Amino acid sequence: MRSLAILVLALACGAAQALEIRRYETRIDVDRDGAALATASVDLAGAAAGRFRLPVGFAKLADFRPGEASPGVSLAAKGNADGAWVEVELPDGVPSETTLGFSFRANGVLFVPKPEAGQKATLPKGSRLLRHRFVNTQEAPIARYAATVLFPPEVIAHRVNEQLPRPGRKEFAPRVELDRFDGRQGARLQLANLRQGDRTSMELEIVDERRSAVWLLLLVPLAAGYLFFFRDLVRPPRPS
Amino acid sequence: MSADGAAQTHAQSQKLLELLGMERMSLSSKPREAQDSTEKWMRYLGFPGGILLFLLILYLPPGAGLSASAQAGAACFALALVWWVTEPFPTYVTSLVLMFLLLVTRVANDKTIMYVLGMDVIWLNLLAFILSSMLVKVRLAKRMALWLILRFGKNASHALLAFLILHMALAPLIPATAARAVMTLPLMVVVAAIYGATEDSNNNFGRNLLLLNLCGISILSSMTMTGSAANLIAVGMIQTMADQRVYYVDWVKVGTPIAVTTMFVMWWVGQKVIFRIPKDERVPQLEGGLGLVKDQYEALGPLTKPEKKAIAIFSLVLALWMTDIFHMEWFGVEISAPFAALLGAVIVLFPRYGVLQWSEAEIPWHLLIFSAGAYAGGLALDDTGAAAWGVKVLFGSFDLKSVPFGVAYTIVIAVMMYSHLLTTSKTVRTLIMLPIIITLAKSLGWNPISFALPAALCIDWVVGLPISGKPNVILFSTNQYSVGDNFRYGITACTVGVVLLVLSAMTWFHWIGLTPAFWATAP
Repeated sequence: MRSLAILVLALACGAAQALEIRRYETRIDVDRDGAALATASVDLAGAAAGRFRLPVGFAKLADFRPGEASPGVSLAAKGNADGAWVEVELPDGVPSETTLGFSFRANGVLFVPKPEAGQKATLPKGSRLLRHRFVNTQEAPIARYAATVLFPPEVIAHRVNEQLPRPGRKEFAPRVELDRFDGRQGARLQLANLRQGDRTSMELEIVDERRSAVWLLLLVPLAAGYLFFFRDLVRPPRPS
Repeated sequence: MSADGAAQTHAQSQKLLELLGMERMSLSSKPREAQDSTEKWMRYLGFPGGILLFLLILYLPPGAGLSASAQAGAACFALALVWWVTEPFPTYVTSLVLMFLLLVTRVANDKTIMYVLGMDVIWLNLLAFILSSMLVKVRLAKRMALWLILRFGKNASHALLAFLILHMALAPLIPATAARAVMTLPLMVVVAAIYGATEDSNNNFGRNLLLLNLCGISILSSMTMTGSAANLIAVGMIQTMADQRVYYVDWVKVGTPIAVTTMFVMWWVGQKVIFRIPKDERVPQLEGGLGLVKDQYEALGPLTKPEKKAIAIFSLVLALWMTDIFHMEWFGVEISAPFAALLGAVIVLFPRYGVLQWSEAEIPWHLLIFSAGAYAGGLALDDTGAAAWGVKVLFGSFDLKSVPFGVAYTIVIAVMMYSHLLTTSKTVRTLIMLPIIITLAKSLGWNPISFALPAALCIDWVVGLPISGKPNVILFSTNQYSVGDNFRYGITACTVGVVLLVLSAMTWFHWIGLTPAFWATAP
């Protein structure tokens, strides 16, 4: 009886360990006001009946909407002071390879950090930060994680302030890739093979696409002034 | 000859004699005079030209994947590049302007910009100049230069060849290119002076000598895979990404013929075509000719005690530079090139037993500031991703899917070769370019090594601009040639390299199985 119990437990553990997230992609469509609509797509392999918490990388989820999934799969937004997650419940007979989809809204994806009292501002006027952090808090490994952020129209990334973890010796793709996605400027954070506890993050400074005209107003007169005041450089020598 | 003419020749000869005495072997910070009306116009138009280019790049619509700081960094670097080439200001002033621009355009913060002055390359320059001052002060440099001239310098062509052979011998022994530059710099300055080339009075022998040395130092590093750290990184990438091992002998088989042939071509083309040396400048310009050189050499007498000390100190540093791969095993720590030079500097400056006092050390601070600005600009291009973006756009603009191997190969080699103009670090360029080239080869269906190894041979060819590499900065400090001269000579050398690499792909590389048939189409 005892051996049978051990066998059942071992099989159960084996089934639980076999769950793998092959692909976890989130598209984060940011509005001008800094709020965003996030749409996630998750490919599971080795799925079996049970329940697990899927991390989402956001503190709060609003207007959560499950997408199409296998019959009986239940998705629900949950959260506490430490962050938010999606509670996934897989029914008996769920296909081993299943895709989950859901969307939600998140506020403050673009934000201006408030300096502490007595501290100097760290960003110039008009600049905002975009920060995305993801920690694999559940047991199943994630083979490939990607979060693609689409910036609001007419803004671009000024620089990538943080991209973690730093690419390893055998990784040649950047952790954060800036590019145009669906015709919009954006950034993609990507990491492969996240085990439980692994984290990845990016922080970008976002600015207006239009440059200030101050350089034009400053440098054009300077160039003209140089041409006038230094014209003797090319003047032919006067006969003595 | 008129009395005035004779007096002028005598005065010039006296000046050369002083230089030969090495008393005035200083790397002057005074701005180089414009040599002709073209240079005057370049200086006049260079200032607004640089500003125009800056504004143009800054206000261009943002490219896909290009961050605002990368765009601003490219704009700042372009302005500095135009000013370095046309010289409306001395090069070190342009570097200071560039550092300020990087800050105010928010490409980099103040710490990142200022820390550049503490980079290993700056330290190596500073310490190597102390060692170089030692060689000058004890007159060892003079002895070696006079010997070189007496042995090989009966005419300009032989003197140039002597330096080329010297660098072929040094390159496999000392991987640090800056070390090779500093070791041979005093010899170059004296030999140039003997042939009438000084910082006040440039001539084509001086241009050929300095630029041939510049190419020799950098290009000959590609003879072996241990010629530079970046070569080893490339070998590692080929192994990791293409799963193919490159052995020392594999590299030598392809790298040495290309590098050596290019250098011989440049030795000939330089003096006959690019900077043609007039007949009367092909012999030593000193009054009294080689006889005077011989007298000067004999006047030095046997080796003095300070000279012997200098030889011992320099040998120690040289030994540390040459044996760096064994340091960890021997000492439990790697003594890098700057720290080997630092040890040498400590002994040189040691009270009572050293050979030099601090006040006698000739440290060209203007050169260090110039280097710092150049590196700050280069780092900004790398850190912001502007360099990587430029390379990607460049490769993306060619449709290489449907072309024969040879066409794709030629484009890859040319992009790799000339991309050194966009960055100041061989390592960073390797890290950016090699993965792209290996991935490209795979996607086109070619064996990755057929693109990657020939491309890796181009890593050390950083000869186009005075900011392209450490030796470039050091040799530019002699004021013997302009940025334009450097560009002309360096780009010619790179073009010779591209042509030889393409010809090799048609023949030698194909015969040894490195590349497929030149006109083959993708499998």
